[in-house]
Amino acid sequence: MGLLAYGAEGYGDELLAGAWVTVQLAVISYALAAVLGTLMAILTLKPRGVRWTIGRVYASVATGVPSLLVIFLLYYGGTEILHALLVPFGVDERPAISPLWAAVAALAFVYTPYLADLLRGAIQNVPKGQLEAAEALSVPRRQIWLGVLLPQALRIAYPGFVNIWVVLLKDTALVSLAGLTDLIAAAKVASGSTREPFLFYGVVVVFFVLFAAATIRLANRHARRLDRGVRPSEA
Amino acid sequence: MSFDFALAWDSLPALLNGAWMTVLITASVMAVGAVLGFGMCLVRMSRNRVLAAIGAAYVAVFRGAPSIVLLYLVYAGLPQLSVVRETPLWILFASPLFCAILGLGLNHSAYVVEILRGGLSAVPPGPVEAALALGLSPRLVFLKVRLPIAVRYGLKAYQNEALIFLKSTVAVGAVTIADLTGAANEIFSMTYDPFTPLVTAGVMYWLLTNGLRLALETLDRRLNRHLAVGVPDRRPATARQADPGAALFRRLRRSPAKPAE
Repeated sequence: MGLLAYGAEGYGDELLAGAWVTVQLAVISYALAAVLGTLMAILTLKPRGVRWTIGRVYASVATGVPSLLVIFLLYYGGTEILHALLVPFGVDERPAISPLWAAVAALAFVYTPYLADLLRGAIQNVPKGQLEAAEALSVPRRQIWLGVLLPQALRIAYPGFVNIWVVLLKDTALVSLAGLTDLIAAAKVASGSTREPFLFYGVVVVFFVLFAAATIRLANRHARRLDRGVRPSEA
Repeated sequence: MSFDFALAWDSLPALLNGAWMTVLITASVMAVGAVLGFGMCLVRMSRNRVLAAIGAAYVAVFRGAPSIVLLYLVYAGLPQLSVVRETPLWILFASPLFCAILGLGLNHSAYVVEILRGGLSAVPPGPVEAALALGLSPRLVFLKVRLPIAVRYGLKAYQNEALIFLKSTVAVGAVTIADLTGAANEIFSMTYDPFTPLVTAGVMYWLLTNGLRLALETLDRRLNRHLAVGVPDRRPATARQADPGAALFRRLRRSPAKPAE
């Protein structure tokens, strides 16, 4: 257990720093994916037309390739991609991409369509009367979305969102293969130099199991709070 | 930012080699996961409290841990035990491929346990009672009635898991196996072309995941062909509305020429 001590003689601080990277990565990319997924769900609400087709192609690509591949692509090629995107605006720069931001962008890219699909289904399941009532009261468009439809859709989509959160959390483990010093990478270094793989990887397993369990508990509590206006028999 | 077709063509053999490794691992892990998952599902659903707790712990640990950690544990951890190092087991554990299949298999099987359990507990009591009333032995009832129904119920969830798991095989790079991603990375490090090898590999992954998806959807349709309504109607909404009863008759249209009984 001395090996887990904080400071120079143990690996506690390295592991903690790695866990912090993992948490940051998971939270930022999930938040980004949730925002982009909401936009995508609204833009692709009608199952026909150009936007829907573009959305389907994007979803097919993003859900058809492993996220590690996207991470590598953005890590190696992100500078070039950004350069190509910036040139039309007259900015001739080649910004360097840090592994963390490459990973965040890649995970957000991959998980946006998953969340968009969930939310689109949920928006379509919000009772029609809600939209009609809001329109009859001439509530502004923006408020219909932000105040009426999205909160109810989010409640319906909540369990699916939690599932995707757990999948994404475990997917962050792959970033160590792209050279990011997350929890896995820290555990690998520690177990390599101490020859105690069971201890360090055990810590990692415990971290992931407990972190997932804690966030699921938190989410369930939040879901109950969101559902407080719904009679249990209907839920 | 450009795609180099000549390089893509030249690197095709190496990438196909990697893709073959990905397919090999995926197929082996699906087999291991099915066997292990079925066994552990019986343990998990056992009436014996201790066995059920062991099953629950199995699921919690192997489903909760990222597969890459399980790979490291099997590949770097188990050989630390003298039981593994000083017995013939070592021949197995010295092979990265075996470790990869075992590590991913543990992860995958934990999902199979939960999917199968969900399916089994959703089986309606009617058919089971009917089979028992007809005097079928409990074992036969399980194998011929409950399990087939449970598999049909669980197949959609299994498809989701199988696709996620196929993509998570990239983790085998951690135990020095050159799969499709590894091959693409190798070509990147030789050419410093950040797009061509990775995009080509991405296309191959896309083909693999969609091939697997189509295969499982076909299986789903075949197993559920008695439920014409359950067949997902993939035609555009306009066509569906024009012919409201069509879903019920599609099966008849697809397989005609069956003599009436």
